[in-house]
Amino acid sequence: MARLSLRGIKKRFKAVEVLHGIDLDVNDRELIVFVGPSGCGKSTLLRLIAGLDPITDGEFLLNDKRMNEVAPSRRGIAMVFQSYALYPHMDVYENMAFGARLMGLSKAEVEARIQEATRMLRLEPLLERKPRELSGGQRQRVAIGRALVRKPQLLLLDEPLSNLDAALRSEVRLEIARLHREIGGTTIYVTHDQVEAMTLADRIVVMNGGRIEQFGSPRELYETPANTFVANFIGSPRMAMLGVEREGDRLIAPGIGAISLTRLPSAADRELLMGVRPDGMSISPDLQGEGFAAQVVYTEYLGDSAYVYVKMGEGAPVSIRCTPDTQYAPDTPVKIRVMPDKLHFFSSNTSQRLAV
Amino acid sequence: MISSQLTGRRLWIAALVVPPIAFMCLFLVYPILSAFAYAFYEWHGLARGDFVWFDNFHRVLFEFPFSERTINAFKHNIFVFFALMVLQNGLGFILAYCLWRELWGARFHRIAVFLPVVLSTVIVGLLWKLFYHPLFGAVNATLRAVGLGSLAQPWLGQDSTALTAIVVANAWHMVGFPTLVFLAGMQRIPSEILDAVRMETESEWVKMSKIVWPLVAPSATVVFTLLFVGAFNWFELPFIMGGVDGSPHGATDVLGLYFYRTAFGSMSASAENFGPGSALAVLIFLFIAVVSSVITIRLRKREIQL
Repeated sequence: MARLSLRGIKKRFKAVEVLHGIDLDVNDRELIVFVGPSGCGKSTLLRLIAGLDPITDGEFLLNDKRMNEVAPSRRGIAMVFQSYALYPHMDVYENMAFGARLMGLSKAEVEARIQEATRMLRLEPLLERKPRELSGGQRQRVAIGRALVRKPQLLLLDEPLSNLDAALRSEVRLEIARLHREIGGTTIYVTHDQVEAMTLADRIVVMNGGRIEQFGSPRELYETPANTFVANFIGSPRMAMLGVEREGDRLIAPGIGAISLTRLPSAADRELLMGVRPDGMSISPDLQGEGFAAQVVYTEYLGDSAYVYVKMGEGAPVSIRCTPDTQYAPDTPVKIRVMPDKLHFFSSNTSQRLAV
Repeated sequence: MISSQLTGRRLWIAALVVPPIAFMCLFLVYPILSAFAYAFYEWHGLARGDFVWFDNFHRVLFEFPFSERTINAFKHNIFVFFALMVLQNGLGFILAYCLWRELWGARFHRIAVFLPVVLSTVIVGLLWKLFYHPLFGAVNATLRAVGLGSLAQPWLGQDSTALTAIVVANAWHMVGFPTLVFLAGMQRIPSEILDAVRMETESEWVKMSKIVWPLVAPSATVVFTLLFVGAFNWFELPFIMGGVDGSPHGATDVLGLYFYRTAFGSMSASAENFGPGSALAVLIFLFIAVVSSVITIRLRKREIQL
C-alpha cells in the first residue's frame, strides 16, 4: 500500500532553485516514470522522495503521513541506484541481508525474504560472489534484490538501465515490469529515455526545467500532449512542428503551402503551431493539389517501414513514416499531405495545446 | 641513427638512476650489511677481534645485564605500538571521519590537524617537555586552574607516567598523518554507496563500522604498517624527552635507545660495545622486516577494490 502525494515541493541548492513547486498524486500499485532531459530535476525529485536530500519547501505525504522529516531508512522506501551501489566488500547474499537485518527482522524472516528475492531474480548461482565478480546485468539484479528484501512500500529506480548495453536493456525492462506486477507495490522510475518511459509506465511525469510539463498515461501523452515540449519529447522520431497562419478555414504556412480544414482550434489565435507526427503525414511525388512543398533530404530504411526526411522551409528536417518500398533520391521535390484527424495545435505564444 | 638515439636515451636514464642507487647503496645497503657482519665479531673499541659466531646475539638476548635491558626496552616498544595504535591511528580515524562528514569548522580543522606533522621532532620534544614541566608546565597549570591541582604531577619524572607522556606527545605530533591517509581513503568511497547505506540505516555507528571502515582498509594497511615500523624504530622523541638512558630508571627505554647506548657508549653504559650493538640492530631490523611483511600481506587480503 503506498499512495504518494507531493504538495508544492520546492528544492533550492544555496541560491539556485531547481524544483519550482511540484504537485503530484500517485495511486497505490502504479508504476510511475519521471522522464525529462538531463538537468530537468527528475533525479533531484527522486532523492527528495527517498529522503537523501532535504525538501526546501512543500510537503511529501506517503499514505497521508508527512515524510519530510523522516529518515530515509524509516520511510519504507527502497532505492536502486544508477551505479547499483552494491557494497563491494560483501558478497551477494550479504548485500541483500545487510539491510534486512538492520530492519530488526528475525533470522528466519531474513532468510525467507532473501530466498524469495533470489528466486524471483534468479540469483542462486551468484550468492557467494562479490560485486566485482558480476557483470553489469547481474549487479543490476542484485541491486533490485537488495531493494526487494526490504519489502518497501515504494520502490525507487534511478536510471536503472543506463549502464547496460542495448541488448540487455529491453530484457531488464521487461523484467522490471514483471517484478512490479509480482510485488504489487508502487514504483517510481527515473529515466531520460522516452521509449523506456512509454513501454513501462502506467503514468508518466514529463519534467522540464524543474517543473512538471504533463502527467498522464503514455497514451494521453502521445495523443494529447499538453504543450510543445511534451509533443517534441514524447514519440520518436519527433513530431514535426510548423508555424501556420489561419485565414478562415485555411491554414497557411508562408512559402510552403496551405491546407483547408473543417475542424480548427476554437481559440481565436491567428498564428498557430501545427504539429504532426511521422505517421500523420504522407508523401507524394505529385506536386499538384493541396499540401506543403518539401525537398527530400534522405531516406532511412528500417525493414518494416521507412522514414523519409524532408525539409520544409527553414526548419529542421521532418520525418515521415512510409511503406518500406518507398525510395526517393535526395533533393527530389515532393508534396506533403497531412491527415486532419492527426493534427495537434499549440498556441504560438504560450506553447500550450489548443483544443479542436 | 636509431641505435645511437637508443644509447643516448640509455645514458640519460643511467645518469638519472645511478646516483640515487649509489647513494642508497653507500648509506643504506652497506651499513646494514656491515652491521650484519659486525654482529658476528668480537670488538675491542673500534678494533675488530675474532669471529665469534652467535655470541653477541646470545649475550643480547640471554645474558645479564644485556638481556634484562633488551626485554625491558622491547616491552616498552610493544606498549608504545599499542598505545599509538589507539591514540594516533584510532584518533586519526575518528578525526578523519569528522572531517569527512564536514562537521562544523572542518575546513579549519583539516589544516590544524595536519600542522604539527610538519614540525621538527626536536621542536615537538622540547615543547612537550615544557608542557609537562612539574612547576610551570602548561599541563599542570591547566589542572590547577580547573581545580584538579591534586592531579598535577611530574609527568616525565616518574616511572608510572613518563612513557605514556611521551606517547601522548608523539600522538599529538603525528596524528595528522593517519588522519590524512584515512580522509583520502574515505573520499574515494563512491557517494552512491553512502546513499545506499542511508536508505538502510540511520545509525552513524553502523555506517562507520560496517561500510566506511572496511572500505578504507587500504589506508589502514598503510598506517598500521608505518606505525609498526615507527614504534619499533622509535628514537628521537624518547631521546629528546627522556634522554639516552631512558630516564627515569629506564622507564622510557626503548630498543632504539638501548641499541644506541650499547653500540656507541654513554655515561651509564660506559664504552661502546660494537658487537652486541650490531647484534641488537640486526635483531631489530629482522623483527621489523618480518613482522611488517606479515602485517602487510595479511591486511592486503582484507582490502577490497572499489
